[in-house]
Amino acid sequence: MSEKMKVTYYPGCSSEATGRHLDESIRAVMPEVGVEMSDIEDWNCCGASVGHIGGGPLPTLALNGRNLSNARKQGNEHVMTPCAACYLNTHGSNLTIRDDEAKREKVNEALKAGGAEPYDGDLKVHHAMEVLVNHVGMDKIAERATNKLEGLKVAGWVGCQTVRPFAETDDGGNYDTYEDPDFLDNITRACGAEAVDYEPKTNCCGGSVAVMKPEKTLHLMKLLLEEAEKSGADVISTPCPLCQTNLEMYQDAINQKYGTSFSIPVVFPSQLMAVAFGMDPQKDAALQRNTIRAEKLEKMAKK
Amino acid sequence: MTAAIPESSRTYDLSFARWVRENVKGGDKMNLCMQCGVCAGSCPIGGEMDNGPRKTFMMVRAGMKDEVLSSTTLWNCTSCYRCYVRCPRGIPVTSIIQGLAAVAAKEGYADKEKVANYYFSRAFWWSARTFGKTDERLVTMKYFFSFGLAEGIKRSLANLKIALGMIKAGRMHVGMPHTIRNKSQLKAIVAKAAELEQKG
Repeated sequence: MSEKMKVTYYPGCSSEATGRHLDESIRAVMPEVGVEMSDIEDWNCCGASVGHIGGGPLPTLALNGRNLSNARKQGNEHVMTPCAACYLNTHGSNLTIRDDEAKREKVNEALKAGGAEPYDGDLKVHHAMEVLVNHVGMDKIAERATNKLEGLKVAGWVGCQTVRPFAETDDGGNYDTYEDPDFLDNITRACGAEAVDYEPKTNCCGGSVAVMKPEKTLHLMKLLLEEAEKSGADVISTPCPLCQTNLEMYQDAINQKYGTSFSIPVVFPSQLMAVAFGMDPQKDAALQRNTIRAEKLEKMAKK
Repeated sequence: MTAAIPESSRTYDLSFARWVRENVKGGDKMNLCMQCGVCAGSCPIGGEMDNGPRKTFMMVRAGMKDEVLSSTTLWNCTSCYRCYVRCPRGIPVTSIIQGLAAVAAKEGYADKEKVANYYFSRAFWWSARTFGKTDERLVTMKYFFSFGLAEGIKRSLANLKIALGMIKAGRMHVGMPHTIRNKSQLKAIVAKAAELEQKG
């Protein structure tokens, strides 16, 4: 894609808290590769992985309906989010509203009760990574990456919901596979870094169960760290805000439980891109927000 | 794991499978299950589940409503969707497990000792409904204290170091929650949707 793409941006709740560095780096790099973003007016929570239990399936669908209805008003067919759970819920709800007439009627009745515009499912919902793959292209990232991250070894950890179950896009076709996606390693390479072999690339960190009951999922994260260490990676790169936070904040607990001494930085591909684009390491790459600092990457950043 | 062998003392709800089929998202595809077990074998957290998805489906068919809805399987799903994309019959396994969890929550099957997820989800939804956004701090605190004052304090202290690290990195703010502007609109939408769901 050489022309500009305009997207309506859904940052998601983590963008104002644990995932601020994802939001900041996405906002920095996307315009650099021709993606213009404007936020969904007054966006709300998507319900994440537990809304259906806490509030019920239809209220969760209605939350997403409100976001989509607000996005629709902005007159742009593309909606983009960098968060795995936001993508899953927004995309899934979009399909439900589009294809299931009974549900669409109910959502619209709920929207009407709040004085919001009805929505019939005609927007296209994209994950930010899918936009990079299908609409920007790796060539454009490589071309813009003037400060190549030479010598940096990166383990690409896609996680689960970024490609599951919606690797199919609203444009038709897929942006990657469920089990063995390449896009993350391709972004790493486009930034001039080395993508090491990382077998558990689509393994789950435990998601929200890791937040509520970490003891049930520490073994999952231990494996992710062990494999990263074996691969010789300097950093782990993941597109998912919950994956990033979980794997970073539980390293102490894992070390305590298993007698290990992990201290592996976990960064977002957009942070790698910001550094490779020669952008500001704090304002654009937000490297100061990683609680396990990616020192090698920080040294490569243009001062 | 011990197999749940049907005993004559059990009560079976023979309308349960039909009910699931008609009311749970993806339930209409459950008939296609051939009990191959790819779902259970793919689950990253199967070790924390009493039955797992494959057996759960068979139990639904058998009408074991109480056992299904009080099962730990529903509450430990991490929503990674591996079973969903691997099912050779194209059954949306994750959606069905989530749908059953929603039913269990609604019908009061959530037991406090067993289902942390229910209390976490309630705290989460409270934030989404009240502020329009997830306030990770308040959700976590509300969740911790849903197990009582002593447990709340204990868990909060255990996570203090993580919280301080997050504050230092600017990833946890101190102050009022972030909120959407049109909270009354969101409340009206959610209330209407809940009412419609109740009606069925």
